Amino acid sequence: MSNGRPATVAVSRRDALGTMVGAGFVAMAGGAIAQPVAAETPKRGGRIRVAGMSSSTADTLDPARGSLSTDYTRHYMLYSGLTQYDEHLKPQLALAESIETRDRVLWTIKLRKDVSFHDGSSLTASDVVYSLMRHKIPAMASKAATIATQFQEAKAVGPLEVQIQLIGPNADLPSILAASHFLVVKDGTVDFQTANGTGPYICKDFKPGVRTVATRNANYWKSGRPYLDEIELIGIPDEVSRVNALLSGDVQLIIAINPRSIRRIRSIQGFVVQETPSGLYTNLIMRQDAEPTSDPNFVLAMKHLFDRDLIQKAVFRGFATIANDHPIPPSNPYYLQDLPVRTYDPDRAKFLLQKAGLLNVRLPMYASPAAEESVDIGSVLQEAAANIGLTLAVNRVPADGYWSNHWMKHPLSFGNTNPRPTADLIFGQFYKSDAPWNESGWKNAQFDQLLLAARGEADEVKRKQMYGDMQLLVHEYCGVGLPVFISLMDAHDQRLKGYGSIPLGGLMGYMFAEHVWLDS
Amino acid sequence: MTQAAAPIATDKAVATSGLRRAGQFLMALPLSGMIGLGIVVFWLLTAVFGPMLAPYAPGAIVASDVFDPFSARNLLGSDYLGRDVLSRLLHGARYTVGLAFAAALLASITGTGLALTAAVSGRWIDEVMSRMMDALISIPSKIFALVMVAAFGSSVPLLLLIAAITYVPGAYRIARSLAVNLNQMEYVQVAVARGEGRVYISCAEVLPNMIHPMLTDFGMRFVFAVLLLSGMSFLGLGVQPPDADLGSLVRENISGLGEGAPALIMPAIAIATLTVGVNLFIDSLSRSRRTMGEV
Amino acid sequence: MKTTLVLIARRLGTAVVTLLLVSVVVFTISSLLPGDAAEETLGRNATPEAVAALRTKLGLDQPAHLRYLHWLGGLLSGNPGQSMANNLPVKDVIASRLPKSLLLAGLTTIVSVPLALLIGILSAMYRGSMLDRVLSLVTLSMVAVPEFLVATVAVLVFAVNLRWLPALTIVPENATLGEFLSAYAMPVMTLCFVIVAQMARMTRAAMIDQIGQPYVEMAILKGVRPARAVLTHVLPNAVGPIVNAVALSLSYLLGGAIIVETIFNYPGIASLMVDAVTSRDMPLLQACAMIFCLAYLLLVLVADICAILGNPRLRNQ
Repeated sequence: MSNGRPATVAVSRRDALGTMVGAGFVAMAGGAIAQPVAAETPKRGGRIRVAGMSSSTADTLDPARGSLSTDYTRHYMLYSGLTQYDEHLKPQLALAESIETRDRVLWTIKLRKDVSFHDGSSLTASDVVYSLMRHKIPAMASKAATIATQFQEAKAVGPLEVQIQLIGPNADLPSILAASHFLVVKDGTVDFQTANGTGPYICKDFKPGVRTVATRNANYWKSGRPYLDEIELIGIPDEVSRVNALLSGDVQLIIAINPRSIRRIRSIQGFVVQETPSGLYTNLIMRQDAEPTSDPNFVLAMKHLFDRDLIQKAVFRGFATIANDHPIPPSNPYYLQDLPVRTYDPDRAKFLLQKAGLLNVRLPMYASPAAEESVDIGSVLQEAAANIGLTLAVNRVPADGYWSNHWMKHPLSFGNTNPRPTADLIFGQFYKSDAPWNESGWKNAQFDQLLLAARGEADEVKRKQMYGDMQLLVHEYCGVGLPVFISLMDAHDQRLKGYGSIPLGGLMGYMFAEHVWLDS
Repeated sequence: MTQAAAPIATDKAVATSGLRRAGQFLMALPLSGMIGLGIVVFWLLTAVFGPMLAPYAPGAIVASDVFDPFSARNLLGSDYLGRDVLSRLLHGARYTVGLAFAAALLASITGTGLALTAAVSGRWIDEVMSRMMDALISIPSKIFALVMVAAFGSSVPLLLLIAAITYVPGAYRIARSLAVNLNQMEYVQVAVARGEGRVYISCAEVLPNMIHPMLTDFGMRFVFAVLLLSGMSFLGLGVQPPDADLGSLVRENISGLGEGAPALIMPAIAIATLTVGVNLFIDSLSRSRRTMGEV
Repeated sequence: MKTTLVLIARRLGTAVVTLLLVSVVVFTISSLLPGDAAEETLGRNATPEAVAALRTKLGLDQPAHLRYLHWLGGLLSGNPGQSMANNLPVKDVIASRLPKSLLLAGLTTIVSVPLALLIGILSAMYRGSMLDRVLSLVTLSMVAVPEFLVATVAVLVFAVNLRWLPALTIVPENATLGEFLSAYAMPVMTLCFVIVAQMARMTRAAMIDQIGQPYVEMAILKGVRPARAVLTHVLPNAVGPIVNAVALSLSYLLGGAIIVETIFNYPGIASLMVDAVTSRDMPLLQACAMIFCLAYLLLVLVADICAILGNPRLRNQ
């Protein structure tokens, strides 16, 4: 850890919260993210080309408007946040030197000294205030506008000190601040034709839908980093082309490879496949405010119709983790171990459907390439349903417009949710009765109470119990069928070193830029 | 003149005589034509009876591994999910054959009809029609398909409509340029001088002489319709799962290319034989008609 | 000559009508699309307030006919508007992509047209021979394989296995001629696969139709060498259908290149238009449609002029 500061022990958020309750005060010490693979000494220099999944005219340099993995990657390359995720998705301090709170409502953030933007100006509290509060302006079209509604106020209380007032207690603020949308921009920026950030790379050329070229920021606040001279980020939407570009040596790192390509990549010398088990999932949504999907028998029958082993094996070639109809992956510390995984049981499903009088109906089920592998998961489900006399018509619709016109809009549709750093975030955004993305329209007062109580609960054992109860409730009653968690699969040239996993997303949780180096 | 009238005479002859004449017709076909006809008949039969012959349901996952090679259990191997390729092929052929044939036919007939109308009508009708066709044709077909599917959702009638609309202007242009050229021919001018009506001239004098190039064009339109459908599958547009047209079968198994999986190669061969077969047959048809006419 | 000038003048007039027609058609069918630019930009984060605010900002709160007239007014005064997806001027976005598309189309034309004419004329001259059958089968087989498969196989063979050519069409700055050609080799080849067959087959058909005419037999009976007869008598008369087929095929090269652009990651104008559809970016979509229409009209005009110059009867009309 050569960031020019004494290496301090990174305090995990849970530990920090414990301290907070004991002392009524918490201070997170400054620390750098641990290098996931630090066996060799990094070398300086070199240039790589990286292929993301998508690239279009909607590409943006504005972190607030980032909507796709290629955007997030670009933004983490050019900007820094107050905090950043480590390989366990715990927030570590970044531009913030300390984050303190007594009540989880009022937070005080001290900023690092001597951080400069790419245009040479220094980072000040007003930049941070602007970067946070601009999400509340509708015309900014921020993707984090709903999260930002929690910010009551943010104000500069000193040149390098910011105070954030939340509308209610939320222990997850340090996690939230690490999200790419809250990366820090210069105060007053509205025109994002170029990027003026404090990140490891400086924007040299940006053409939406074509490429982003970024060069090394010699004044990066983590001294010694980054290692590469230049990174070119392009988007190759077609997976086969992406893999071919890697194998032919045209690019050195690619995101999101299909499990069916792994055999081929591994058969050729010089390439590494990086598997990251994650909380990413594609789920079946059964609207609770529509017929017949609101029938509890129907919901349970569909959950029993998921042949999870087959989906894991056939659709994902084993690169997925079996899920249990709730969104907490086994890697999460709050995962409910004791709950047996729901089995594939067509007989029981048939019985339940008969009971509901729904056996011989024909139901359209909306799937789209927009929701990863939903068409294939739907096909597997369709076949299982056909075997017991239920006709599910998979209605594949184009990716564009799927989220605004089909997702959650039909009795049966598929959703797709990226990994979230905490259980509270995923439950709060997708399962709480009044959550904006309460996909199935599921209303459960007990669940809501538990969620709020867990936010304020100091005792870890009790907290774990609460999250366990919430998982049970979702597993039993929520109108969401969740067959597997999908592993993130990247591949890179063997000479690219320092590459690891951050289970937020592909390309090291979109944050590979400051970690990797070339061994030529 | 005799030559111009020959195809029609032959048509009538074939229609009125029985099997003997049909046999003669077949014998008159060159070898390539017979092969072409054989392939066309094969695919027509597959389109009609294929689903009955399929050993498995098109959506059933029956193999434990993906991209299996040929085996006794799965004659043509397994696809990217472990489904039976043969079954999917037998189910999928009808979409490609039916859609492409119907679309090409619709496009050729509409295009030729409009072209004849335009060619024999006054300058204004010709002008208006040609401008409309220009406007239509200049919108790229795959992007047109993208918009239509996004707006109306993917269904078989919509796919047919998209393909037909896409190829009407092309057929129209070819037909119109043929008709305009033919209008300058002596025998047409003679007919005009004779005082024949417009309809008579287009049907009796112009149309028969357009048939050969228009048939060639139809063959190409058919190929294009097949390819448009497979091109659309590249953009994720096509018939709804679990069924898939031949192009979608190629597309969905494309990651098996490196391993040479039959799941990818067989539907590609199916498309190739289908399109080549149709064109071989059409080519030889016009050739044999000529020979028979001369006999 | 006079006919040609009259034709050009008339075409300029009708071109305006056609362009207007296209813009109305595109505007109409794209307004059938579910969602608008505001909803697409916000995606899953589209709260009613945010959508309303963005609609106001983008001018989407006005009725459709007003938006169309506004766009048309802008276009007439030389300003095709701002892209809704990224707020850049449509002019700049197009300017960065169009030359690339034209380059690819131009290279493909240089390769494909002579090739197709050669194949077509040879097949027609040696009609029924082995050469004719082989050429016919080859061209048919070329077009009988889906474009994306041709491109993917080519990449697999020439880029991944042999490593002769790059998998992506990225031309480095100050590229040598060799680098330039190797970058374009595969996309050009793939596009040739698609368009050569149509041109070659129409050439052959048109030529054969003319070869069967009495005047050609007469010429040959008079002792004109067959090759000469074909070039001086048949070709000029067959030129109408041939140039039309060529124009149609070439018009494919701008908008139809979407698959090639996607697979070789080539930033052309077809993928730009797909982006415009996906993000419901009306000004950009209209601009792309206008360009495709203009290119097409230009090709057709050239084709018709060639046809008139080629056919003495039309010329003297």
